[in-house]
Amino acid sequence: MQKKSEATHQAVPETGAATSRRAFLATAAAVGAPLLVSPRTAFGSAANSRLTLGAIGNGGRGTWIAELFQKHGGYQITAAADYFQERVEAFGSKFEVPAARRYTGLSGYRKLLESGVDAVVIESPPYFHPRQAADAVEAGKHVYLAKPIAVDVPGCHTVEESARKATEKKRAFLVDFQTRTDPFYREAVKRAQYGDIGRIVSGEATYFCGPTWGDQAKWLTEKPGDPELRLRAWGLDRALSGDVITEQNIHALDVASWVLDAAPLHAVGTGGQRARTAGTCWDTFSVIYTFPRDVVVTFSSKQLGDGWDDICCRIYGTEGTLDSHYFGEVSIRGKLPYRGGKIPNLYTDGAAANIATFHESITGGDWTNPTVAQSVRSNLTTILGRSAAWRGAPVSWDEMLRANEALEADLSGLRS
Amino acid sequence: MTRRALLLVALLAAAAPGSRGQPAPATVSAPATVAAPAVVNSLGIKMLLVPAGSFEMGSLPGAPLRQEEEYPHRVTLTKVFRIAPTEVTQRQWLALMPQNPSAQAGDDLPVTSVSWKDAQEFCLRLSQKEGATYRLPSEAEWEYACRAGETEPASASGLDAVAWYAENAGGAAHAVGSKKPNAWGLHDTLGNVAEWTLDAYGPYPRAPDTTDPTGPATGSTRVVRGGSWRGFAPAVRCAARTGTPESYQLAHVGLRVVQEIR
Repeated sequence: MQKKSEATHQAVPETGAATSRRAFLATAAAVGAPLLVSPRTAFGSAANSRLTLGAIGNGGRGTWIAELFQKHGGYQITAAADYFQERVEAFGSKFEVPAARRYTGLSGYRKLLESGVDAVVIESPPYFHPRQAADAVEAGKHVYLAKPIAVDVPGCHTVEESARKATEKKRAFLVDFQTRTDPFYREAVKRAQYGDIGRIVSGEATYFCGPTWGDQAKWLTEKPGDPELRLRAWGLDRALSGDVITEQNIHALDVASWVLDAAPLHAVGTGGQRARTAGTCWDTFSVIYTFPRDVVVTFSSKQLGDGWDDICCRIYGTEGTLDSHYFGEVSIRGKLPYRGGKIPNLYTDGAAANIATFHESITGGDWTNPTVAQSVRSNLTTILGRSAAWRGAPVSWDEMLRANEALEADLSGLRS
Repeated sequence: MTRRALLLVALLAAAAPGSRGQPAPATVSAPATVAAPAVVNSLGIKMLLVPAGSFEMGSLPGAPLRQEEEYPHRVTLTKVFRIAPTEVTQRQWLALMPQNPSAQAGDDLPVTSVSWKDAQEFCLRLSQKEGATYRLPSEAEWEYACRAGETEPASASGLDAVAWYAENAGGAAHAVGSKKPNAWGLHDTLGNVAEWTLDAYGPYPRAPDTTDPTGPATGSTRVVRGGSWRGFAPAVRCAARTGTPESYQLAHVGLRVVQEIR
């Protein structure tokens, strides 16, 4: 047992991923590290050149993140694709995308891939992510992909394979999870993995918020059966979004699988559409996961009511607790406490950090693509919980992988 | 064998990486094996000779389980030294110290729950007894000895054979030396108990090459290395590092000694 403790650890001053990666490249160049090629070879132009970027998905988040890409300074948005004409036009006007490089329809992104861009940012409904990412890699583009990476098991495998091909083809492939850029999250996770909270016994992951997708619910209610409104209201369509556990709650479960450095063995769950009346997505999930070493993680989420707007993951050990909140503080309480702290706006700052890392990967020639494996694992973790809840029966990880079940979205009536 | 002969063997070994017929990793110029015989001190610790050499400290971006702070840089150690093949046991501790603070008693178990200063005191007493300079390893010496001339001495999938860690330790430390040693004959560098090093904890210098680094000049948080029976795979790697206040006495932290050679 520990005999003494102090108020806090003295943390090593954090260095941003950007700085250390750049410094690493200098080192690697000096020692001839085999993983890398020179920046010029990697990008084919000066390392500080602006990358041309195609934006696939020009809705709310697509527009929001494009602003961050623009703000970075290392990108020039030269093409845009969205199913909806008015969205791509608004996006194109805002970011001065030439009219000839604004593409619409379900397959508009393919024309974007032929427009000469260096990289793409994919912010379309999750159902489309695997195919769009695969086609982008096939076309030799660097890929910046929003979470979730896919809505089903085959989609996760497709993304995994695309990232592997990207590495082979010397292309960057980054999945945009914000928490993993946060120094407080990183330090707390590291300490838990070192045993600072003792033997890990259990955990809880929660994602509580009020009603979301209000406009989408309205559209569906006003014109049920309209194919374009169904697409526009993708957040309420379980096949297009993956359902809320995969589409949004993944943030909380990603932290759990990160700390435990494992995939769950099996899950049992329940839930339903208890408040919202539009769409096919549930508005509450409750799942019990069993991870290796008999670690049990309870998960619950809601998209209804008021209060508790929180994305939380707590991991309980025999000697302490890791407590993390996406919009709040990250800390460890117990015999080896960690005071941690709070990034003012992780939602924005995390994405900005990933955008910077993506740029440095491309200009520096780093094709290791380290964000993908964990993203596949946490995406599959959400699918396991969803499968168990939808089925109302226990589902094992192996069973889920063997079933390899695909979600099929209804795209009938949409323009290709 | 005389000291001069030992040094000669070590230098020859250092000059011939991959001398067992296997190519040495491109970025490691340390020998694949430690070819010199060990010296047994009065506590029965069989001190292994570690030759001078260079190695890549830290981990490359994209390496499995890496942490950002493991900034990769080349380190050259110019001085030959000896290192214990195992963590200090409770029997060895009690030969010099008045009390055994370990939470889990056993002669051949590693001593634990010792502060960094306790560890320093043990080294001082051992030095006095042996008429030699014993101390904790520097962080660089520790990683050099952990890697033992290899870039990745134990992948996560191979940990079972070489390390007691959270997946296989059953929530307790085990007798030292009961897992396979690394290429230089060191046991339990990964797992069992984590080990104090001499250095204060701080970010690595942002320089591509360093020689005989000793860490920040000041600081009361010390580098602890190797992971332990309570750590998961990310913590049980040669590159993994963490800082612990030097006053802490932890059930998963012990020590390993080195002996300077002059």
